[in-house]
Amino acid sequence: MSSGRARLPDETGRLAAPDGVGIAFEVFGTGDPTIVFLPSAPIIHSRQWKGQVPYLSRHHRVVTYDGRGNGVSDRPTEPDAFSDDSYVADLATVIDGTATDRAVLVGLCTDGVWRAIRYAVANPDRVLGIVAFAVGVPRLTPSHPHYVASGATFDDELPEYEGWSKLNRHYWQQDYPDFARFFFEEITSEPHSTKAIEDAVEWAVEGSVESMIAEAQVEFPFDRDAVEAICRSVRCPMLLVHGTEDTCQPIARARRLAEITGAPLVEVEGADHMIPGRHPVLANLLIRDFVRSLTEVAVP
Amino acid sequence: MSRLAERRVAPEPPPPPVRREQSRARYPDETGVIVRDGIHVAWERYGDGSPTILLMPTWSIIHSRHWKGQIPYLARHFRVVTFDGRGNGRSDRPTTVAAYNGAEFAADAVAVLDATKTDRAIVAGLSMGAGYALETAVAYPERVSGLVFVGPSVGLSDPIPGRHAVAFDETPPAWHGWYLYSAAAWRRDWAAFAEFFFGQVFNEPHSTKQIEDAVEWALDTDPETIITAEDAAYLPALEPAIGTGSISPEPAALGYAGRVRCPSLVIHGDADAITDVSGGRRLAAAIGARLVILRGSGHNPLGREPVKVNLALRAFVDQIGRDLQ
Repeated sequence: MSSGRARLPDETGRLAAPDGVGIAFEVFGTGDPTIVFLPSAPIIHSRQWKGQVPYLSRHHRVVTYDGRGNGVSDRPTEPDAFSDDSYVADLATVIDGTATDRAVLVGLCTDGVWRAIRYAVANPDRVLGIVAFAVGVPRLTPSHPHYVASGATFDDELPEYEGWSKLNRHYWQQDYPDFARFFFEEITSEPHSTKAIEDAVEWAVEGSVESMIAEAQVEFPFDRDAVEAICRSVRCPMLLVHGTEDTCQPIARARRLAEITGAPLVEVEGADHMIPGRHPVLANLLIRDFVRSLTEVAVP
Repeated sequence: MSRLAERRVAPEPPPPPVRREQSRARYPDETGVIVRDGIHVAWERYGDGSPTILLMPTWSIIHSRHWKGQIPYLARHFRVVTFDGRGNGRSDRPTTVAAYNGAEFAADAVAVLDATKTDRAIVAGLSMGAGYALETAVAYPERVSGLVFVGPSVGLSDPIPGRHAVAFDETPPAWHGWYLYSAAAWRRDWAAFAEFFFGQVFNEPHSTKQIEDAVEWALDTDPETIITAEDAAYLPALEPAIGTGSISPEPAALGYAGRVRCPSLVIHGDADAITDVSGGRRLAAAIGARLVILRGSGHNPLGREPVKVNLALRAFVDQIGRDLQ
């Protein structure tokens, strides 16, 4: 798992979330401000940011952590452990536990973006800004039809599992690596993505199928109006980055979030869901310039 | 009926689609064309540093963009000159076999050095380009201050099993694998050969982009041109030195190697499925070159391992600079 990293952490540690779940974190570099990368857990773990950490830690203190259910963090298997609040609490645990006063938050999809937004709304003095890749804000606009369909049969035993019907608890127990391959091939559909796919599948297979199933049982706790109200109450600057071909999160969500928050949206032509992994230079320069713009404002 | 109305009735056919070149990370600072025996050869120069590195053409199935992973980096430190080998890119496609002799590529290299006002250069070549570099260094030793051979195809390698499945001029029994290395297969489906061949060149995982690029460059030329070039004299046996009697039976490259006087570097992947790594080892031993073996790499580390190659190239060039001081 740690084979051949371009940059090794300067500090590693383990913290206990409020419910006792152990969360493993890593710290790289020393520059101001700190950038905290949220994990897309439990499906993958903190190595998803391997394209960002070496570059950004040359300029900033970078904190990553494995989300519950994958990596070297604990792997609870009861649905309660994967509530929306528990994700936000994990981020708070890491920010507090690494003695980080204020940070820029970077996330991908719901696990990264929505939880960063919720933390920022609850802790406005701790968040300098948010970079949101593949803007996964649930309910803001309808999901892609393939998620609606597979969600409806997630708990059903099906005669066969083809395409998106592999997003199914029974199939996960039967052949989780095949699901992971299918899933990451679908959401990393640009040409020349074999390495990005191979990495993501490896990280997925390192995780816990039981945690994935537990997480899938959790009902999202907010309706659309509540989601919009939370988004509107974000006070820090945000940068939204979304691929025009995103198979996981509809670009309509990014456009809607931009509309209601006034945050700039970078639409990446032809890009699918995994922009930080598949287009690391673009992602890194966007993060760097966004962070710079924050500190330039902060200096009198 | 007015001319305009006439045109509406019978519009001119649309122009044929023009394949646009990809954007580049670094564009040349100067471009030009040299002409030898009526054949135009296009060159490019990048950067103003020192020394100059001349990046040679290889087999004309591809052109100078095969150095795209090196040019932007090397041009930040050195002066870089490239040219399209005759038969591809912006250079002419001569229709006579002799125009593709290795000696002509070497003479083109020197004409490009003249045109770019380059006294001496470190000369680098991939695969057949290694042979062209060798020829240049032996024929024009005063113009070459160092040599870099990447995956050198100079006739010193152990054979690759199955590589010569069919004689080039014979109709193959099937249209797949190494049977595609034949004039008939090239005329039948040039792109199919290119896709197969570059799949063998880039046999490492995650090479889809490198294969796509190379196939695109192969489609910038045509099978007849490459069939013509196939019969050319690549590295002919050298004239025996005065007083040593008959031509030696040893491979031509060993005869050339004995005449190389400049520092040299060989880079070879140990998973090379086109030109076995044994050839790189033998060439390095014969010349006394520094040898870098890339574990798990195939025939074209320029494209597949650009960072490793660039760092090795830079270290080699810097070492030559220190040795000269």
